[in-house]
Amino acid sequence: MSATGVQLVSVRQLVASPVDATFRLSPGDRPIVSAGESVVVGAPIAERLRDPRLDTFDIAPSAVEPEPGARWTGRARRGDGHGPIGEYMFEWHGRWRVATGDVTDPIETPFAGIVREVRPGTGITIRAAGRGIAGVVAFGTPTRGRLQAGAEGELRSGGLDVGSAGTILVVASRVDAETLTRARAMGVRGIVVAGLSSKERRDFMGSEARQRAALHRLPPFAVLVLDGAVRRSLSGAVQALLGALAGRQVAIVTDPPMLIFDQPNLVIEPPPIDLVRIRAGALAGREGRFIAAIGPRRFQGGARLEAAIVHLPDGTEAAIPIGDLERYV
Amino acid sequence: MTSEPRAFLALDKGAATVAAALIGRVAGRWRLVGSIAMPADAQLEAVISVLGDRVLEAEPEFAAGLGLRPGSVLELPRLEVASQGPGRLAVVAASARGLAPLVASASRSGWRTSSGSADAIDPLAMSMLLLDPGVSAILVGAADPPGVDERRGIGELAALVAAVAERRPDLTIILAGAMTDHLSAFRDADRRSGEIVLAPAAQRDMPGGPLADLLLELALPAGDSHRSLGPAAATLAEVLDRQVDIVEIGFDAGTRVSARPNSGGGPPAFDLAVVPAAALSHAEPDDAMVDRVGSWSTWGADRHRLRDRLRELDVAPWSDAAGEGSALRMAAARAALARLAERTSDWDHRPPADLVVAAGGAWAVASAPAVALAIADVLRRPGASQYALDHARLLAPLGSIPDPGERRAIITDLLDDLLVPLGTFVTPAGLRSGRSAGSMVVHGSDGDTEHDLQPGGLTRVRLAPGVEAVAEFRFRDTVKLGARGRHFAVDVAGGLGGLIVDLRDVPLNLPERADLRGELLESWEQALLHGPEA
Repeated sequence: MSATGVQLVSVRQLVASPVDATFRLSPGDRPIVSAGESVVVGAPIAERLRDPRLDTFDIAPSAVEPEPGARWTGRARRGDGHGPIGEYMFEWHGRWRVATGDVTDPIETPFAGIVREVRPGTGITIRAAGRGIAGVVAFGTPTRGRLQAGAEGELRSGGLDVGSAGTILVVASRVDAETLTRARAMGVRGIVVAGLSSKERRDFMGSEARQRAALHRLPPFAVLVLDGAVRRSLSGAVQALLGALAGRQVAIVTDPPMLIFDQPNLVIEPPPIDLVRIRAGALAGREGRFIAAIGPRRFQGGARLEAAIVHLPDGTEAAIPIGDLERYV
Repeated sequence: MTSEPRAFLALDKGAATVAAALIGRVAGRWRLVGSIAMPADAQLEAVISVLGDRVLEAEPEFAAGLGLRPGSVLELPRLEVASQGPGRLAVVAASARGLAPLVASASRSGWRTSSGSADAIDPLAMSMLLLDPGVSAILVGAADPPGVDERRGIGELAALVAAVAERRPDLTIILAGAMTDHLSAFRDADRRSGEIVLAPAAQRDMPGGPLADLLLELALPAGDSHRSLGPAAATLAEVLDRQVDIVEIGFDAGTRVSARPNSGGGPPAFDLAVVPAAALSHAEPDDAMVDRVGSWSTWGADRHRLRDRLRELDVAPWSDAAGEGSALRMAAARAALARLAERTSDWDHRPPADLVVAAGGAWAVASAPAVALAIADVLRRPGASQYALDHARLLAPLGSIPDPGERRAIITDLLDDLLVPLGTFVTPAGLRSGRSAGSMVVHGSDGDTEHDLQPGGLTRVRLAPGVEAVAEFRFRDTVKLGARGRHFAVDVAGGLGGLIVDLRDVPLNLPERADLRGELLESWEQALLHGPEA
């Protein structure tokens, strides 16, 4: 093996640590944690205004001068109940514009950690107690559940059963929008999948938006895409790690797209340094051992690309563009 | 470089690929010794080591003359540029009319933009736009003096932005035009970590004015690879004494430079536009973007499959570069080039450049004639231009040399190695279809050759790199080729694609039907790559 050759291959981190996850806030949302605070799984960290609006108020002179981003509490209209609450936005002609609303939904953290930063109107960042597996995109709402191995290849809606309620399912290659919708309806908390096509993604997100418009509050559900948009199996290293995590509680967050697990005693062996995965081309999804970088070679369509010899498990060797290879560290 | 090195490395660390070139001093001149490009995630030291090992293996004595020995390439001085991912600039104004020129200037100044005007969105939505965690600067502007439609909302807008500035002291705030009168609304400006910058108003129909220059300064640091192409083009124009355009399609932005030698003896002038919207790929390509790539695709994929492939291209841009992947890249590069041309359409009235240089990783996997054809497909200007490729991605590192004299000396030395000549494109406009348009006689060193000119196609004449000739055209009708006329004599230079007479429409008219369009695009490509040479 060429001493430096394998270092030409693009690298992906198998496990990310530390993980700083951000929960987006809009003007008017109320953070209920502060920087430096520890949070446990399921702890509410903010209240989200469901239908925020901007009201204008005269502020009575007081000792504390309002400032943008500070909380505003209005006078109760009757009885001793709490008055309306909101957030000071800006002052114009001696009156304050305040972001407020009538109904709030709690935002809960699906993992334990320490609050790093709170920016009203922008977001809350929490450093997770645990490690993460990075994906390329995630959508939905941060969620938590027991990790359960799903289908080997493509997961169909008929393959789901109620026993999966409360779990985060791992789908080895691909899933369609109908299955995602049915999974959410059956109480599945999330899906981890290698590839999700644009069409399925758009269909599911359309369904999600309609549900959100119609219902008061949806249970948390997220989809984490680990690789991309075309059909491709999960890499061996990631499959092994997900296998080790099966049956344990994990969380999916969307910013950054990541699966978070808090298993400090789980020993993760680094993959062999010369183990590479083929990302694209006729052998996409297969893994093998990097033998040597062999310099520029001509490939299909006349493209002249830097190449390497890869030894495949079936005993054959293939010249693969180095750009089509990736390895986990 | 303080001492007198015999070799140095030029590194262009792009967002998708990293390119390394070894430059050595040979017989008193700087020459390109070798170059390599690898995925950006590859270990840089390993990439440089491979380059050094190849030079040592191929020419051990020559390498010894440069002072190279195993492992020593890592110790060479480095001239390095990197592509900084574009930041997001929130652009706001009191009216939609006032917003348009601000967005036009900002979107070609190295920023991704999100925008809104006070007459179109409510203050809450505008606050959300400005407080987005992805935003790193805010441009708020008005005409100077403010227009009637702006006067009513400008004060409230200033108060809103000032409140956001108070909440996000890290944000750079740019007040443009009449908005500078509202600086007093921004309290504690001295204590903010982000600057508050006063800027001139955006000028309608002139997006590349002083505001764009200021925004470029704020967007891109000195060692940015896109920005360095400006000085590189200017020096090239000065050395060649020709008007030079550079069109770069990169992973995170497209760049266009127009440089011309200064006849008055002063420094050469250049205009620079860095357009993130003209990047090769986008994480979330919208329908218009997908359709545009589809219109250049010979692949025949439906919109969903094409979007999947474009998303894959964004996730791993160095991957899948052979076969269909190469065709997808060229279609995406054409679409990106079209976006770049749209954002710089105010340059269209200028005479076509003498030399058009293609730069950036997007062109790396295509053959030389295919690159030339892609540029000619999109940047259709009647006239004659020589095309070349920055094959080793040297222009950006060389453009980052701060001393103009040193930069000129090195570029002069490297002139023979710097660019791969792709050929000369001659593009007449105003041809009538359906019959022979006339004839062309190429007066070369090997004698004269005559060619019939058929409208609607491409005529390719073999002309090797480095060979010069005169092409004499006699058209049946009056055409536009720089000037209007029927008889032209054009100096042409050879290249890997030779001399190409482009007799297609200006601008290009492609069939609506995807299958017919694909066939036509393929036939042009085949004519250029494999077709019979005239």
